[in-house]
Formats: sequence, structure tokens, C-alpha cells
Amino acid sequence: MWPPKGAAKKKAAAAQEAVATATPPGEYEPTLSEQLSYLQYARPFKNPNYTKGVGRRTKILKTVLGQERERERQERERKRLEREEKEAGEGEAMDVDVKREEGEKAKAKAATPGVVVVEEEVPTYLSIEAPPSLLPQRHYCDITGLEAPYTDPRTNLRYHDKSVYELIKNLSPSAAKDYLAARGVNPIVK
Amino acid sequence: MSDATADGVPAVPVHYVPIPTLPTPTPRDDYAPFSGTRTPLVIDNGATQLRFGFSTTPGGKDEANTSPHVNTNAIAKYKERKHGTSLLLFGDAIESESGARSQIRTPWEGDVLLNFDALENALDCAFLKLGICDTETVEHPVLMTERLCSPLHSRSLTSELMFELYGVPSLLYCVDSVMSFYQNNKPPSSGAFDTDGLVISFNTASTSVIPMVKGKGLLSHAKRIPWGAQQATDYLLKTTQLKYPNFPTRVTPAQSSWMMQNFCEFAPDYLEQIRRLRQPDALRAGARIIQFPFALPVVEEKTEEELARVAERRREQGKKLQEIAAKNRQEKLEAKERDRDFMLKLKEDRPDTKREWMSVLRGEGFDDEDSFEQTLKKLEADIKRGRKKDTDVEEPAEEPTFPLLDVPDADLDEDQLKEKKKQRLLKAGYDARLKARREKEKEREEKEAEERREEDERENNFGEWSRRLRAEQEAIMVRMKERSRRKAALADRKSAAAQARMKNIATLAADDRVNKKKRKAAGGEDMFGADDADWAIYRKINTAVESSDEEEDYSQLQTIENKLLAHDPTFTLAHTHAAITSQKSAMLSAFRPPYEEGDVEGNTRIHLNVERWRVCETWFSPGMAGVDSAGLGEVLQGVLARFSDAEKARMVQNVFVTGSPSKLPGLTDRIYSTLRPILPPEMHLGEIVRAADPSLDAWRGMAAFANTDEFSKYGVTKEEYEELGGERIKRWWGGNWNQSVSP
Repeated sequence: MWPPKGAAKKKAAAAQEAVATATPPGEYEPTLSEQLSYLQYARPFKNPNYTKGVGRRTKILKTVLGQERERERQERERKRLEREEKEAGEGEAMDVDVKREEGEKAKAKAATPGVVVVEEEVPTYLSIEAPPSLLPQRHYCDITGLEAPYTDPRTNLRYHDKSVYELIKNLSPSAAKDYLAARGVNPIVK
Repeated sequence: MSDATADGVPAVPVHYVPIPTLPTPTPRDDYAPFSGTRTPLVIDNGATQLRFGFSTTPGGKDEANTSPHVNTNAIAKYKERKHGTSLLLFGDAIESESGARSQIRTPWEGDVLLNFDALENALDCAFLKLGICDTETVEHPVLMTERLCSPLHSRSLTSELMFELYGVPSLLYCVDSVMSFYQNNKPPSSGAFDTDGLVISFNTASTSVIPMVKGKGLLSHAKRIPWGAQQATDYLLKTTQLKYPNFPTRVTPAQSSWMMQNFCEFAPDYLEQIRRLRQPDALRAGARIIQFPFALPVVEEKTEEELARVAERRREQGKKLQEIAAKNRQEKLEAKERDRDFMLKLKEDRPDTKREWMSVLRGEGFDDEDSFEQTLKKLEADIKRGRKKDTDVEEPAEEPTFPLLDVPDADLDEDQLKEKKKQRLLKAGYDARLKARREKEKEREEKEAEERREEDERENNFGEWSRRLRAEQEAIMVRMKERSRRKAALADRKSAAAQARMKNIATLAADDRVNKKKRKAAGGEDMFGADDADWAIYRKINTAVESSDEEEDYSQLQTIENKLLAHDPTFTLAHTHAAITSQKSAMLSAFRPPYEEGDVEGNTRIHLNVERWRVCETWFSPGMAGVDSAGLGEVLQGVLARFSDAEKARMVQNVFVTGSPSKLPGLTDRIYSTLRPILPPEMHLGEIVRAADPSLDAWRGMAAFANTDEFSKYGVTKEEYEELGGERIKRWWGGNWNQSVSP
């Protein structure tokens, strides 16, 4: 799909000059969006031989996180095997704090240049995620946001006082479900 | 919280939603000063914004650049309909084309860099903007951000892009919050960077806490909360949509984020704040009114004279119709009169013999004399009635006589007997009508007497009268409430009322309904219904029958209330049943002020009162919004707990807050009051420092760092990339670190 004459002329003009500006050749005024568009600029700094590798296809978040988890698991496995090997190799009695031993060995290794010592836990995207909350949850009114000492047994909505309860009584079931969803409670009835 | 808005001032300031302005094209940067030099290129790849620029100003090599290009990190590839041109729009330029907004792509998905097509295009646009044009590769070492503990997939693909597509000589990744910390705690020019501190970084889709020990970010002890500005904006949007379910216009996420940035703030003590907001006055004082664009409906207002003209026309039409009807009636009456005259004449000209008379009659269409007489009588009656209507004269109704009724049956022959029966019926009807009329009159007299009595009472003993009426009103209201409560109870299957009802039904339908003894006496039959009172049970069972009682009660209530309203000065509209039932609490009407139906302007307003603090509170307890994660307070506690007291003391001297969402007011106070209780009392907690410019300081820190010598030490060069792949990086104080570290 070739763009019409005007754009083609523009492209040619741009290709000739080093720094292209969207000067209209006289045919028509470029619209604002055309002026803002970057499509017609030459990009010589890009490598024309670059082909999108296999990994370029956009993966969804789930796959990426799954990969990370896999990798982490493999690392742990590998380290465990390494540790066992070392023990077997050394022939020493089982040390309670294997880590410490490894740490010492690693420190010795660190004397040699170019070795990075892995003494601490390796943080990954998943490992630094915050744990679930341990504090007891405070109840806030689903409708108003104030404190909610009460809960409606029919809809499980929390409410602040009598008048809010009157409001809740007149809510449709779908509206009640929306309120619950905002709190993160999704009553899915299969 | 403190606000300067109306408190007692009638006009509350209304904030108008900003209309997005069209972006203006800006020229590309001049590349000449940088061409050939290997000035580091600094890119802060943020989830919301992309900040890029050279690390030095065009003027001199030593002066660090402090103003990067900032653009929304999104691109849109769009094919325009009108001219058929393809467009590549970057950042804010997407606003210029409404169709492009649906094609928008961002490299980031929440927290993670996923879409590399979009990233490639964004970087293209960035480099083009900087003016890079005539080199085969991008010949500048690049300092780029990545998120804290980025997944390796993201990093490897970014490296692939940078090295293979753009051919940069070297690439170094860093964590944005650490660089912002560096910027604000820069060592004197010769010293090493070794400050301790606690960095709290607010990002688009996450919030992280990173401890800094001796200038090094201890990433293994860092923690990330999956809650950021993006989630908070969504939460604000959701709550406002729930609050205004019938809002006429759609609220876009961009508008929601504008609302959050301008009106939301952190409360130092959330519980205290919402307790204060229980009072309707406090709610009103703390509210912000946001006016959304609306369109007034075009009302064709007829002027006074037009209305008068229309009314006049209608009246004339009515009159005309009336005239026509009157004429018709007149004509019919005349026709009837003519007929009657004709018949009378017939009667006069009646021939002597009966047979001839009969033939004449039959000729006219009458079967026999009787029918003739009847028709004549009817005509006379009609005419009389018609005349009466026209003249409106009340003629005294004559007493119909029933002569035959007195004559005993034996004396009458067949016809006369029939006649007598007829007369009896007529008399019965007439009597009944008389009785009814008399009763009605009596009723009317009674009512008048009653009213007179009441008036007397009212005039003489006002207090007694009003008290009596009020008691009646209360009784009726109580009855109505009882009834509605009963109705509600019946709706619930398990309530006592419903179960009692079922028991009644079951007893009625039971086989052995009749008592054994009674059965023997009555002969084994079920005598339900013999006694009239038995049928009353159906009123109890039938749930739908209440309406007639309700209506009665309601109309009674109305009359009492009207009387009270008219005569009793202390009984106001507020005491009436209608007012009491429709009374919404003051708190709710301050929470969401209702507007009239036709008030278009009012109905497109959003009042933000509790939401202003509620949204920000989610950072400290994401559980409010359904995200099962520890809040910022808990995370801070957890992170600090892993350090010894000495280290802790050093770190809390220098608590640093960065990231664009940290611009929300009240944050530093809140963090202080969160940290203070979890630290031992003797430990000194320094003032919480917010970055000088929370959005740009990360970039500035990077630019400053890029100009130092250390920068060249840590970058991964192209050769190293080709040898080791895209996941390897060198571990340094400002960067990520995971398994794939380069030896």
C-alpha cells in the first residue's frame, strides 16, 4: 500500500537530506499528526541486517514469570548438587552450617581475581516480592470508605451505619457484586 | 485535613477537568555538538515516561545535562483514514490523532518490560529526536534503567536490541531509585559514594524499599510491593464509578490520574481522618468538586405570548366543539318532537274501527297499540329530559303511583297480574332508591356534625385535639411499618413469619384436620367455612392482599396530616410520613450530594471526599483494594528487621523517597509516623527526605554518574555481549544483580 503522491515526495525529500523536516512540497499541508509522526525519517543508525530473533515475539507476563521461576528452581537445584559434590569430594563430616563452610571456601576462592562470590541470597523479581500482610485487616465501609463495624449477611458488604444499610438493601445484586469486586472479593458461583 | 475551600462560604470552588491540548511539533535536536564524541546517552526507561538525553549539555563536556526529553512511554502505529498515510506517533503526539489512541502500545506491561516492538519504536523515536541521523550505529555508550530485579528475559532482549540493532559500544544498566538517591546524596567531587540510607521508590506499578549500605544497594534485602500509581488510579476510577453509577459521561483513566495527582493526599493517621469525616460538615469541607464537561439540552422555550396564543387556540377549539354538540342535540330533540307530534296526530286522526287503527299502526311499523303507546311515552320522556338539560330547570320528580298493588290478586286477570308484578318491582326499586338517598343525607349530616365537633374541639381545646391526631398518625405509621416489616419477613424463607405461614397452610391441607372427637360428633366432615370467622385465615396466608388495607391506611394518614398541617403550627412538613420515610441521613447526602433530575450541570459533577485519602491509604494497606500484600509500613518493618541495630541507626538517618507518585502531599509525614513506632525510642529518626525533583532526579543522577570515570568500568561492552549473551551484567552498587553475573 503505497502512500499517495504527497507522502512519497516527502519521503524522497527526507531521504536526501540528512536532517529531514516535514516541509510540504506544495501539494498539501501535512496535518498535525503527520508532522508529529516519525515514520518518514530515515534511521540509518539501525542495523539493517538485524533480524528479530526467535525470542522477540512478545511473551505475556505469565510466561515470563514462569520462566523466572523455572530458572530460579534450576539454580537452586544446581547449587544443591554442587554442595553435595563438594561434600562428597572433601569427605568431611556433615557440617551443620553448610552455608558457612561454603562461604569460607568461597572467600578463599575470592582471593583469586575475577570470581564473584555468591554469599547472599540472589534476589530475583519474584523473591523480592513483599509477603502477604500479617496484620489483621481493618474493615472499611464498602460504600463510603469510613469505618465499618457491621457486615450485611446477605451481600457480605461492610457498612458504616443504619442509613448506609438502607442504601445497601436497595442495591441490585450486580451492584453489590461490583462493590465486592472493588474490595477484591469475587464471589464466583459456578 | 487542611483545606482552603469553602466552609460556610456559599460558592464552593469547582475544578474543571482539563481538556487535552493538541501537541505541537518540536524540531529535532541538533546532533552536531555530539557527533563524533562518545558522550554517554542516558535513558530512563520508565513505565509511564521515557526520559532520554545526552549526559552533558551541548556546550561543554563537564556540565551535566539536567533537562532530558520527557515523553509518555507509548507508541502508536496508525494508518490514517483520510489520506491513507501511515503514522508512527510517539508519546504525547498520540493525542493528535484520535484514532491512534486505540492502537497505542506500551513497552511496559505493568511492572515488566515485555513488548520489544514497542520498545524498538520508542527508542527509534528517541534517537531521532536527539538528532542522531548520519551514523551507522548509535555511537554512544548507553546508561539505561531497568526495574529492580528485572526478569532476565527483559534484560536479555533489551541488550539484544541495543547491541545488535543499534550497535552501541557499551551498555550499563542501573536501578532508577538508586540513581536518584545518588543524585540527592552526591559525595563531594573526589569522595567515594558511600552513604547509608533507605530508599523508598514509588513507581508506576510497584513500590520498592531498597536498603543502601555504604553506597551499595543491598538488593537481596529489598522488597517490592505490587502496588503503584497505576493500581491506585484504577482504584480511584473504580470507587468513583461505584459512587456514581449513573454518571452521564465516561471517566477515562487519564482523567482519573489527573484527579489523583491533584486532589489525593496521604493522611498521617488514616483512622483519625476517617473518624473526623463522620461529621457531614467535615465531609463537605474536605470535599473537592470536579466538574466534567456537559452539554445543556436544547430547550425550545416558548415565549409567553406563544403560550398564550396556544392556550387561546385550544379554548376556541373547545368552544367550537361545544357549539357543535349543542346543535346536534338540538336537532335530535327537534326530530324527536316532530315524531311525537306526528304520532299524536296519528292518535287524533285515529280511525274509528280498531282494525283500521291496527293497519295504520302496522303501516307505521308498530306491532300493536301497546308498543305504540310505549314509544310515545319514551319520546315524551326523552324530550322532557332534553328540555330539562337545556333549560336546567329542576322539575319535581313526580311520585309514580302503583295503583294495582293494593288490589288483591284474585281480582285481576292475567294481563293485570303481569302489570302488578311489574309495578311491584318498580315500587321496590323506587323505595330502595329513596332509602339510599335518605341514608346518604344522613351520612352527610353525620360527617358535618363530626367536623363541627372537631372544629369546636380544635378551637376550644387545641392541645387535646392535636395530641389526639398525632397519636392517630403515629398509630397508622406504626401499622404501616409493621406491615412492611412483615412483608419483608415473609420474603425471607427462613423467618418466623414465613414458617408460621407454612404451618397454617399445612394445617389447612392436612388429611386429619378435624379433631377425632369432633369428627364423631359432626359425622366425619370437615366443617371449615361454616363459621364465617374461618375465612379470616386466608387473609393471613395470602401475601398479596395487603394492598387494600395499605391504601386505606395511607389515605387516612393523608387526611390527618393535612388537617394537622393546616391548623397546627408546630406540625411541619418534616413530621409527615413522607418526609420521615424518605429522609436520607445527613452524612450520606454530604457524601454524595444529590442533584435534581434536570440539573445537567450538577449531575456531571463528582464530589471527592473520602476517596481523597482512601486512595492513598492503599499504599499502606493494599488489602483494602483486594491485593493480598503487605503494606508499606509492614514492608519497612520487615526490611529493617534484617539489619543490626547499628546499621539500622545509620540507615534511618537518611530515609529517602523518590519516584513521581511521591509528589502526593502528606507522604513524608505519613512515613515518619509509620517508622517512628517500629524503631526503638532512643534511635534517632531523621527527617524523611523527598527527592528534589522526584520525577527527574533519577535521570539527573544517571547523567551525573555517566560523567564520572566509574561509568566506563562497569558497562558491558559489545564484545563482552557477543561472548556472554544478553543476560550477563557486572555487579555494581547501582545495578541489579542476579545469578548471571559476569566474572
